[in-house]
Amino acid sequence: MPSGIRDADAVIRVRDLQKRYGEVQAVAGISFEVGRGEVFGLLGPNGAGKSTTIEILEGLRAQDAGEATVLGLDVRHQASALKERIGVQLQSAALYPRLTVHEVLELFASFYASSVPPDQLIEALDLGERRNAQTRQLSGGQRQRLSVALSLVNDPELVFLDEPTTGMDPAARRSLWDLVRGLRAKGRTVLLTTHYMEEAEELCDRLAIMDHGRILEIGTVDQLVSRRFTERTIRYERLSGIDDATLAAFPGVTRVAHEDDEATLLYTRDVAGTIGALLGAAEARGVEPRGLGIRSPSLEDVFLALTGHAIRD
Amino acid sequence: MHSLLSLTSANLKSFSRDRAAMFWTLAFPLVFILLFGAIFSGGTSRFTVGWVDGDGSSSSKALKSNPALTDVFTLQAYAGDDEAIAAMKQGDVRAVLVIPQGFEAAVKSAGTVQGGAALPITVYTDPSNQQVSGIITGIVASLVGGFNQAASGRLPVLSLETQAVQSQAITAVAYLVPSILAMALMQLGLFSAIPIVEQRESLILKRIAATPIKRRTFIAANVITRLLIGLIQAVVILAVAQVVFGITLLGNPVVFAGIVVLGALTFIALGYVVASFAPTEDAASQMVSILQFPLMFLSGIFFALESLPQFLRGVAAFMPLTYLGDALRQVMVGGTPFVPLGVGAGILGVWLVGCFLISARFFRWQ
Repeated sequence: MPSGIRDADAVIRVRDLQKRYGEVQAVAGISFEVGRGEVFGLLGPNGAGKSTTIEILEGLRAQDAGEATVLGLDVRHQASALKERIGVQLQSAALYPRLTVHEVLELFASFYASSVPPDQLIEALDLGERRNAQTRQLSGGQRQRLSVALSLVNDPELVFLDEPTTGMDPAARRSLWDLVRGLRAKGRTVLLTTHYMEEAEELCDRLAIMDHGRILEIGTVDQLVSRRFTERTIRYERLSGIDDATLAAFPGVTRVAHEDDEATLLYTRDVAGTIGALLGAAEARGVEPRGLGIRSPSLEDVFLALTGHAIRD
Repeated sequence: MHSLLSLTSANLKSFSRDRAAMFWTLAFPLVFILLFGAIFSGGTSRFTVGWVDGDGSSSSKALKSNPALTDVFTLQAYAGDDEAIAAMKQGDVRAVLVIPQGFEAAVKSAGTVQGGAALPITVYTDPSNQQVSGIITGIVASLVGGFNQAASGRLPVLSLETQAVQSQAITAVAYLVPSILAMALMQLGLFSAIPIVEQRESLILKRIAATPIKRRTFIAANVITRLLIGLIQAVVILAVAQVVFGITLLGNPVVFAGIVVLGALTFIALGYVVASFAPTEDAASQMVSILQFPLMFLSGIFFALESLPQFLRGVAAFMPLTYLGDALRQVMVGGTPFVPLGVGAGILGVWLVGCFLISARFFRWQ
């Protein structure tokens, strides 16, 4: 998806949104737009303000300042019209513990003017075997899938997924990703929060990196990476005999680092030139670099560079 | 409307699958009734009946020692109807049997005289005490039938006439049954705090808030669920009281249902006050347990108010359960009212509105 969205296409439009809880500025003036058919991610650690943002957009909390429109509706004053058209999956929301999977879906379907048949959602989320089990008997991953199924019960134009794959095993996570891609293929818009880098890289057309209530950067994964990093990393098992000063003088090298005395890392803007010089220097000393590899910076590197800490700190 | 029905049905399903909740709301009051009923109902097999002999003849004296009567009752003689009925109202006798003047003449005329109206034998009974009134009318009817058989083929010489007298002294069991219903309704209402706090804690309320249904629909479904359970409780308690202790609903069933609903609503509102201030489910259940004992024992539901010391009587006069018990007792079994029905209902209404306003002001959804 292109990063420039024309206003007319925006499904979500947020301008200088702010929310404070006592002393804590949970959301400190953020602005972004999400286009129709986009899968947009809010990526950040716990406490970054992702859930507060999403709950304001769902009409569950009132902002202190700023504007937010969703599907052309003001989230504060047109919340009930909005709720008819959006799907909501809340982080760690329990369900009626003594109702079965089918009964809970049926109950929530009754809240909307139009709805998807429960059994269709049970199939889509692979809950067929647990159809008549009470929700208190479900595993964490199954409960999470039911919670996602509930967010789709009104066939919404826009779906909010708050950490949707938390507690899921890898297979369930992948099948949820397929489901999200399926929603995109049907032209639905998805706003999801996550703290899984891989999930953001796999799913999101664009994403915003949040920390301490602010958006630090917005763009596609490629844009975020190339904006921040122009270099690649060359890594090999450490060779004795070539000192760091020699390495630093190779073409394109900006920095030399070592991992636990095991491996050497060369950050370079000229991968071919650096590798050529490295192989030449090794041959001249009668050795061969082992475990040679080239690594592109990932979203994780971007996150680390932007926030100064890893996401799960 | 659809969402109101499906929420109510979801609540009822959840309730029916919660064994602990089922036990406390349905089985526990019954255990209570059966246990206390068994303790208090000892000695009901033989009771005293007032005897007014208006004839003073040898036939009436012979009837007084008829084993059909003396095997079952102790007969206590009174000089006149008024005196006997006054004794019955005070609870000294459970029924009154009046033998009118002309009894001997009527009996002797059996089979010989034609014409003339049958002489009425009058039985005064308390219809709220179905067991006693059933036994005595049955026995007297068979005696009357025996005299009339001698006049077979002719007009009957005697007839049985029953008169209802509301005895103000009701039996311990009859006093207890409305009390237990009142207690059950109080618990039903107070305990409605628990699921709502649980739903708030587990974010079900928040999830519901993200759907288009209105908050009042959600609350209405919860209240309707509780009312339905309250009515089921009332029916079950009434049925057991009737089958086991012969206590029937004396008053108008619609008035009775109205009081059940009013009482349940009042205590549901009190439950929502608890839910407004309890931060967690544990706190809510502690608050409920702490509240229910003074509500129960400082009200007149288990002891007559007159038997309480003066200062406690003042406290009891403030308690909503006092008035719910009193109103239910008046409608179900009669007895001396503490306050007239309308006044009791009014006081419950004040509690209801007060609790409603407090919870409307302080109830939190998140």
